[in-house]
Amino acid sequence: MPMSLKSDYPSAADEQLVAWAKDGDTAAFEELIHRHRDKIYARAMIMMRNEGDAIDLSQEAWVKSWQRLHQFQGESSFATWMTRIVINLCLDQIRRQKRTRAESIEELEEAGGVERHMPIAESNPTEGLESEEVRRRIDEAMGKLTDAHRTVLVMHEFEGLEYKEIAKRVGISIGTVMSRLFYARRRLASLLQSLKRERSE
Amino acid sequence: MKTTEFTLDLQAYVDGELDTSRRAEVERVLASDAEARALVAGLRQIAELVRTHEPVIQVPETREFYWSQIQRRIAQAEAAEAKEAPQASGAMQWLRWLAPALGVAAVAVMVALPRGEKEGATLASNDTIEDAVSMTFRSDADGVTIHWIN
Repeated sequence: MPMSLKSDYPSAADEQLVAWAKDGDTAAFEELIHRHRDKIYARAMIMMRNEGDAIDLSQEAWVKSWQRLHQFQGESSFATWMTRIVINLCLDQIRRQKRTRAESIEELEEAGGVERHMPIAESNPTEGLESEEVRRRIDEAMGKLTDAHRTVLVMHEFEGLEYKEIAKRVGISIGTVMSRLFYARRRLASLLQSLKRERSE
Repeated sequence: MKTTEFTLDLQAYVDGELDTSRRAEVERVLASDAEARALVAGLRQIAELVRTHEPVIQVPETREFYWSQIQRRIAQAEAAEAKEAPQASGAMQWLRWLAPALGVAAVAVMVALPRGEKEGATLASNDTIEDAVSMTFRSDADGVTIHWIN
């Protein structure tokens, strides 16, 4: 890797750091990593639920971004571009791991219409909780979803992707996206209600 | 409650994924269906809750260590790429020898193929030059040019 070229990195905007990094400035790239590493790691961790995988895939995402930096033209923010890279890597990894057992259970649940009978949150399941505790509970509940449900939920709620874009990227139909998203939300609501009951007992 | 299809339409309504006509249709149903309204409210609540409370998770490694690992992986990737490049050149070396051989083989095939009424004919004095078919093969690598005139 070429040597560093400049010094005012902490005050530079992402766009400037990207421009410098495109010229081979590794210190500018390292500053970008420092700024966004937690978010990228968190995405990998939420998707994979495994610290080793999350470290590995988040680092792989940074390697890929260094290699493909010239392709980044600023159509989205750098952080958005990076999260797309790490999510794609997570999707590939999930496919490789072929978690078929969990997937088949999920299909059975969906086919049985379980989700339609699950109670949606009657009251706010996180009412009165500190924001940090809400985040923690949501993370805990997301960990209980299958990869397939969690993936669609993350892509929709955190990435803000439309149904058709999720369908394209995951390789499923729009109908399946809708069904998985619905199931994931209902299940999450149910899990949060359970957590609320558990904690209040 | 409605069918699964309508339930998913309610969700698409919440997510702003319905076209204008379908949206109007869903709103008509919502006006008179309390159960559907409750479901929409519940879906909105959970979507908003998740969206605004994305888990915050920090990399469990120091800045320096995390960066050093990425640097090492980048260096490994670049080394692997550099290693692949000479191998690709090696393949090109084979092509350097293979190309003339293929050229010669092509000429041989042309010679061996039946040529209809011109079978066995040579470019005799009563043939016109327009009837002649010619082929040229040039190998810069070997400094050889082969002209085939039929």
